[in-house]
Amino acid sequence: MTLRLPALLVTAALVLAAACTPGTGGGGGGDGKSFEFWSFAAINQKVSVDAYRAKHADVEVKLTEVGTSTETAQALTTALAGGKVPDLVLIQGDNLPKFVQQPQNFVDLRTLGADDIKGDYLDWVMKQSVAKDGEVLGIPTDVGGMAIAYRTDLFAAAQLPTDPAAAGALWPTWDAFIETGKRYKQATGKAFTDNAATSVFYQAVNQVSEKYYSEGRELVYDRNPQVRAAFDVGIKAATAGITAGQTSFESAWSAGLAQGQYAAVAAPSWMLNTIRSTAPDTKGKWAIAKIPGGAGNWGGSYLAIPKRAKNPQAAWNYIKEMQSPQGQLDHFGRVGALPSTPSVYQDEKLASSKDPFFTDAPTGKIYTDSLLGLKPFYIGPDSATIGQEFLNAITNVEQSGGNPATAWDDAVRNIKTAIG
Amino acid sequence: MSGVTLTLVPAPSTAPPPVTRTARGLGERLAPYAYIAPFFVLFAVFGLFPFAFTFYVALFDWNPIGDQVFIGVDNFTRMFGDPRFWNAAGNTVSIWFLSTVPQLLLALLLAHVLNHARLRFALFFRMSVLVPYVTSVAATAIVFAQLFDRDYGLLNWVLGLVGVEPVDFVQSTVGSHVLIATMVVWRWFGYTTLLYLASLQAVPRAVYEAAAIDGAGSWQRFRHITIPSLRPVIIFTVVTSTIGGLQIFTEPLLIATGAPLTCGAVRQCQTLTLFLYEQGFGEFEFGYGAAVGVALFVVVVVIAAVNYLLAGRIRADR
Repeated sequence: MTLRLPALLVTAALVLAAACTPGTGGGGGGDGKSFEFWSFAAINQKVSVDAYRAKHADVEVKLTEVGTSTETAQALTTALAGGKVPDLVLIQGDNLPKFVQQPQNFVDLRTLGADDIKGDYLDWVMKQSVAKDGEVLGIPTDVGGMAIAYRTDLFAAAQLPTDPAAAGALWPTWDAFIETGKRYKQATGKAFTDNAATSVFYQAVNQVSEKYYSEGRELVYDRNPQVRAAFDVGIKAATAGITAGQTSFESAWSAGLAQGQYAAVAAPSWMLNTIRSTAPDTKGKWAIAKIPGGAGNWGGSYLAIPKRAKNPQAAWNYIKEMQSPQGQLDHFGRVGALPSTPSVYQDEKLASSKDPFFTDAPTGKIYTDSLLGLKPFYIGPDSATIGQEFLNAITNVEQSGGNPATAWDDAVRNIKTAIG
Repeated sequence: MSGVTLTLVPAPSTAPPPVTRTARGLGERLAPYAYIAPFFVLFAVFGLFPFAFTFYVALFDWNPIGDQVFIGVDNFTRMFGDPRFWNAAGNTVSIWFLSTVPQLLLALLLAHVLNHARLRFALFFRMSVLVPYVTSVAATAIVFAQLFDRDYGLLNWVLGLVGVEPVDFVQSTVGSHVLIATMVVWRWFGYTTLLYLASLQAVPRAVYEAAAIDGAGSWQRFRHITIPSLRPVIIFTVVTSTIGGLQIFTEPLLIATGAPLTCGAVRQCQTLTLFLYEQGFGEFEFGYGAAVGVALFVVVVVIAAVNYLLAGRIRADR
């Protein structure tokens, strides 16, 4: 007994210690070459990791597909607060500002040589991962660009032009887009687009020169006429009877996509993968035209290295090789994510790429064009919350019978409550 | 007998050497504590510590990956002035009411039926009411959300057959509450039924027979025998379902997949626990989320106290 008692206490103490000690690092082996990588699910990150491993057989990469981009950011936050951190993590652009506000949690990539490659990336994309004292926290992996994906068969049935150039000419502006929607609805009795919040407002508000924050990083969402104009066009679409009232990425939205419940959907480059996997039977029935307003960006992600990472150098080697202009171009060839490195935009592999699923639409050219005319704006720590409240206000009018006349004031009030 | 007395009063001369005695005595005295320690250690780590720590965090502006600033009761003043908090509180009460009342009535009737002396396959029916209870709540939520779907749901298809326009349950306030309440009733009615049934079986059959002989109909027996004899257990189920109702989380989280943390665009079905989760793990405002948790705790304590008083009164009545 006298022997067993201390053993028991020691066991209990060990359990306690194991439960309380924050993890000190990620996976990877002790050889300094291997690393643990957290990415999103359903973006086919494995293809690129395999390509990297094919060239570096001695490197072990432990890839974890955490979940959606939001879930990955949540898991990262929890890990940073006191858990096991990965060596390399993918962060979606909308989630980035909250991390950039707390640069002490990440390796300043300048210490690993980020200054040498910084110039390879679109300037306004790169800027978003630079913290207040110039720390470089992330390297951009891709950008979304903007376009409209539409069903040629449904357009033909409504006597609308099916050719991408002619379809794009239908909607030089968002007002013209809504008018086209009314024509479609009149001809077929069906919804033209999936929803007003994401496919209209969220696109329009990302085409401005100044969004929720001013150049001087002051909050201006409630008095910026460009935001108000985007909101109004969203409300107009919500009340025009041209939307299916399907919130993007919900299960019924996916079902509607596959069944042709709506004919057009806002589609940044990464959305093409979503359409392809959600509605495989619609192959060859889609085409892609330019977005109303011509230019804009939705989405894009960054690779970052947490401060407590065990093998930051191994993670950096991966970034340097796979996110180089050539690396991103190869990645585009594999999964279609648009590079954030403008030097390859003229490359034949990208400029002349065609996608058979979308009736050979020149995807490379459409998306790079939408980026080159873009006016960059500052994205702040509360941008995601503000955007969500505006989206909610429009969805409320569209799907829950909210009053369009008070929608703006309600949204602004909700934002003030949310961001304190 | 005398032998026992002898061992109880040991002579000083027969005592073992003092050192050995203390070491052995200490070990024997501590051993039982070591045996029960695992539970208490785990409870302290995963129960007591987080519980106490919540009260501490509630006094801070707590950014899990940034600064933690002491702000006193500011989180609480903010909460009392926050329309989102009151909206969540209102939704919680509404969903609680819509789920508890039908659930208890249904369980009462079912228990009365299942208690019937001449019911065939009684055991089969008594077991089957528990099936929803053992089904995963997530599976239940997903299936019900599909049944109630606006465009492809079975319920709206049936409504369409009789010419009713599709109802968007999730996007409307009343509809989403009804949907969640239906799931809660579905999950819990069997459990409550069995509680009532167990209590009913303690009522002597002779009482029912005597009432029947005196000419009491089925309804009168239900009204004057079943309900009074179930009174303590009814109070108990009201209290437990109230505490459960205050903590409804999974159902609202899973029905509005487009905006899960707010349960829809205008927070139409966001409950208090979901609001807590949104603030804590969506916005990462740990301090504010903790404050909501403390408020929830206070409400539950108040309800438990009311239960205690009511139960005491019932005992006094008897």
